Amino acid sequence: MAIIERPAAVPATVGSVAAPEVVTPTQALGVFRRPVSSSGWKSWLFTVDHKKLGIMYGAVALFFFLVGGVEALLIRLQLAAPDNTVLSADQYNQMFTMHATTMVFLFVMPMAAAFANYFLPLQIGARDVAFPRINALGFWLFLFGGLFLNSSWLLGGAADGGWFMYSPNSSALFSPSHGIDFWVLGLQITGIASLIGALNLIVTVLNMRAPGMKLMQMPVFTWMVLVVQFLLLFAMPVITVALFLLSFQRNFGATFFDVNQGADPLLWQHLFWIFGHPEVYIIILPSFGIISEVLPTFARKPLFGYKFVVFSGAAIGFVGWGVWAHHMFASGLGPVSVAVFSVATMLIAIPTGVKIVNWTLTLWGGKLWFTTAMLYAIGVIVLFTIGGVSGVTHAVAPSDTQQTDTYHIVAHFHYVIVGGAVMGLFSGFYYWWPKMFGKMLSERLGKWNFWLMFFGVNLTFGPMHILGLQGQPRRMVVWPEKLTGDGFFDMHFWNQVASVGSFVIGLGVLIFVINIFWTWKKAPLAPLDPWDARTLEWITASPPKEHNFDRIPTVHALDEFFHRKYEEMDTEDGPRLVKVKSAEEVLAEEESHADAHIHLPSPSYWPIVLSAALPIIAYGVIYNLMLSVIGTAILLLAVFGWCLEPSVADDSDYDPPAGGDSTKELATLG
Amino acid sequence: MDRSKETVSTLGRMPSTRRHWSRAALLTSVGLMLAGCANNAPQDIFEPKGENSKKIDTLQRPVFYIAGVVALIVIGVVGYAMWKFKDRGQDIPEQTHGNPKLEIALTILPAIILAGISVPTVITVFQLDKKTDAECIINVTGQQWWWEYDYATGQCGDVKIDKPIVTAGELVIPEKTNVLLRITSRDVIHSYWIPALNGKRDAVPGRLHTLRMQADQPGIYTGQCTEFCGLSHSRMRQAAVALTAGDFQKWVDNQMKDYVAPEAGSLAAEGEAVFTANCSKCHQINDLKNADGSPVLSEPDLYVVPGVAPNLSHLMNRTAFAGWTFDLLTDECRVKLWNAKPADFGAMYLKGITPECFEQVALRDWLRNPPGMKPMFVDPNNLSSTGGKYRGMPNLNLKPDQIDQLIAYLLGRN
Repeated sequence: MAIIERPAAVPATVGSVAAPEVVTPTQALGVFRRPVSSSGWKSWLFTVDHKKLGIMYGAVALFFFLVGGVEALLIRLQLAAPDNTVLSADQYNQMFTMHATTMVFLFVMPMAAAFANYFLPLQIGARDVAFPRINALGFWLFLFGGLFLNSSWLLGGAADGGWFMYSPNSSALFSPSHGIDFWVLGLQITGIASLIGALNLIVTVLNMRAPGMKLMQMPVFTWMVLVVQFLLLFAMPVITVALFLLSFQRNFGATFFDVNQGADPLLWQHLFWIFGHPEVYIIILPSFGIISEVLPTFARKPLFGYKFVVFSGAAIGFVGWGVWAHHMFASGLGPVSVAVFSVATMLIAIPTGVKIVNWTLTLWGGKLWFTTAMLYAIGVIVLFTIGGVSGVTHAVAPSDTQQTDTYHIVAHFHYVIVGGAVMGLFSGFYYWWPKMFGKMLSERLGKWNFWLMFFGVNLTFGPMHILGLQGQPRRMVVWPEKLTGDGFFDMHFWNQVASVGSFVIGLGVLIFVINIFWTWKKAPLAPLDPWDARTLEWITASPPKEHNFDRIPTVHALDEFFHRKYEEMDTEDGPRLVKVKSAEEVLAEEESHADAHIHLPSPSYWPIVLSAALPIIAYGVIYNLMLSVIGTAILLLAVFGWCLEPSVADDSDYDPPAGGDSTKELATLG
Repeated sequence: MDRSKETVSTLGRMPSTRRHWSRAALLTSVGLMLAGCANNAPQDIFEPKGENSKKIDTLQRPVFYIAGVVALIVIGVVGYAMWKFKDRGQDIPEQTHGNPKLEIALTILPAIILAGISVPTVITVFQLDKKTDAECIINVTGQQWWWEYDYATGQCGDVKIDKPIVTAGELVIPEKTNVLLRITSRDVIHSYWIPALNGKRDAVPGRLHTLRMQADQPGIYTGQCTEFCGLSHSRMRQAAVALTAGDFQKWVDNQMKDYVAPEAGSLAAEGEAVFTANCSKCHQINDLKNADGSPVLSEPDLYVVPGVAPNLSHLMNRTAFAGWTFDLLTDECRVKLWNAKPADFGAMYLKGITPECFEQVALRDWLRNPPGMKPMFVDPNNLSSTGGKYRGMPNLNLKPDQIDQLIAYLLGRN
């Protein structure tokens, strides 16, 4: 058996439990060998390491965040003045469609996937995910799907039907450019990534937890990611079906949404929102998980009501399936449906409120340390609360018929998504950066980053409440002077404030980017446990070794790492928590008991090849089916390669060849 | 050796002055938002002017107040906790995992509030769906990018309509009357919304939805298509005009009056010929005759996607055109009309577009190049997806003198 890496310091014989013998083809079949690079660009291209994939997910998602951000700034420039002409109507429609699509599908979802990929195995004490090659396939599908989607900008214009892509406005008659074709096929490709990722992480959580870790001892981030994976598992097939219907209508003459053929356009709306509403929780729950890690760490006490937070997260996951039609209160569903969905929507506010209460009570009585990560986490509580209560105002269906499709809704969901999901992700950046890269992001720049974004969010989206309630609808390239009202605080004024605010957010993000580069070039190495953290991912080196843990930790408690460091001692003043071990000591103890045999999956050529085939097929659907045939051939080749390559690289592929129980370091071949 | 302790002391401090400043700024901004609404914004949803919108207003105001109070409490508690429990060197707190009784109490509390909100919500949903008390029925059809109104013959409030009335953009209704709109669409999904009178209702092709309308007093209430409907979504607007029963009778009588041909030899008469030759393919003017006495029949379905174009028989009785986007009234006259007292409104409105109030520039620009003012298709040379039909009005390449003649003719369409 090939061994990718084994701790050199430990004699192989020390291992107490021998790894079970696994029957796998040890011989490479024909040309299908496995790559063995552990450094250089090949080690990234063919990697199946969840940490490398997590970093790549994050880097690409960050790139798309900047793309979506520029789109947002252009939108706000256009809306800064009445009857403005920065963008044409056509460009504007493409801009808001792609801004939403990019932010939802190419930033927030994959950024959450980045954290999930990187930290979920670490938090449950696993060496990798259950299906490492599938994991790699997911990343490459996301990257190629995102690039394919955005290539539409250069090939005759992007999608212009809004991210909700309501039929029949999305049919070829009303949107003759190829933009919507790119959108449909691009989302199909990234959708596969989400679906297989979901399966992979569910299996990982259920099967690969460290010994002793019960489900109710998992960190909340892992819990929330697990809930999200179930949501993805059931939501992605729905949008996939909807996208196929639309694709067949646009490209192959089907008539699923053609009213003249007896179709009901509301079919699309139901399909889209049955996916779309769980999607909202797919977006927000990972950030809920992140701040549920950050708040206890910096409050120095466990999450208040762990079980309530976990169960409310699961409850959101269930009830989230019963509220989709609240996006359709004006669609003409009839009063019974509207009443039912209205009440169901209020119902979901309860578990969400439980979370807010628990976070607040986690702060209560703590010893609060206001790092940037903590500020972001508290920012989430505040901004998400504002977004949450404005959500209740449109759960009331009759009021929603006034508010829907106005800027009040835009204000609401940006408070939820930017104030909740995005700020939560930023909390994760500052919290986990030292773990991922061994260096701390600058706290000084971080504070600037936070305050600019916090005020920017309020400046941009706060006024939108007013604009919407005073009657400014969404998705309009121009708003007329004569409807702006009188007085100094007219809608003209608030639109300008919102536009200025968007650039304040932009400045905050710019400082974050600067912070990354500063940290990369200048920052000193971070301490092993800079935040006095609580969970398993901090029990290993920073950045973690390729195999994560020298010894798989045995878990005895929630917040295992904290309880290894602190013990309650009787003192003169009564019982006190006293630090009995430093992180270094905990780590040294683990390292001294390192496992002798560590089995890691070998890299593979095939995930990237397989995923590269899909955009080719998609271009073929749009331009020439011959291209699809070529793409399919590549796809088949990749599937065969995938199946026929050995489960691990042959020992003889390493240089020098790995023999029996030698303790050699991994060597690179080409 | 405890390295994390060091980082605590170097990273965990933030100058308290800055924190005070930021808190003050937050409070100021919240205050500004509460006080900072524009006066007199025509589409303000908190300015209901009819029975249905008032029902919504009564329902939503307490919800907004409760929402605001809840948000302020949460933010207040978080702010207080941040101040009270910041790291002042106190001990690591007890590692408590929660307090189930408190949790359950704080779960039930919002549940009770929401249950309280849900009861009036459900009642209002059903009230706003009531159809049996309709006193006037008007068919409303959306298409890219304007609204058509088709008044059913029969009783409309106290007024009898005995000939079909087809108009566009401005919905004219009698005050204090329960009007029921039957809404549908000819192409994509639109949404009909007059904020002062009711919430919005989507116009979906192949489906028919109803929407109640009632205005307490005469006036003009503006609105906007609120379901994204393509290129000129932002230029698909509408208004509802409420008139007293007497004024509404006058408006109906005017709509049903016979065609007034322009005086022979006048500029307007030349305009009639230009209209017949260029515009009548799509735009109907009721009772317009060809030279041989046969009726001029518009057959727009041959030329435009939805198959209709606005009926122009009484264009000058409306205050705006082209999806109620461009004014026919000068700014001065429009402001006067919009701000007219309810008692004076009807008389002012029924005057129509008088020569001194006529805003010519927009209409002339429109006749010169409609897609230039209101984008309707991305590439006029590529109409393959629509089978050669236009979506909206194409550029007819009218000459300046033809435009003069047309305007003279259209001015008589009142």
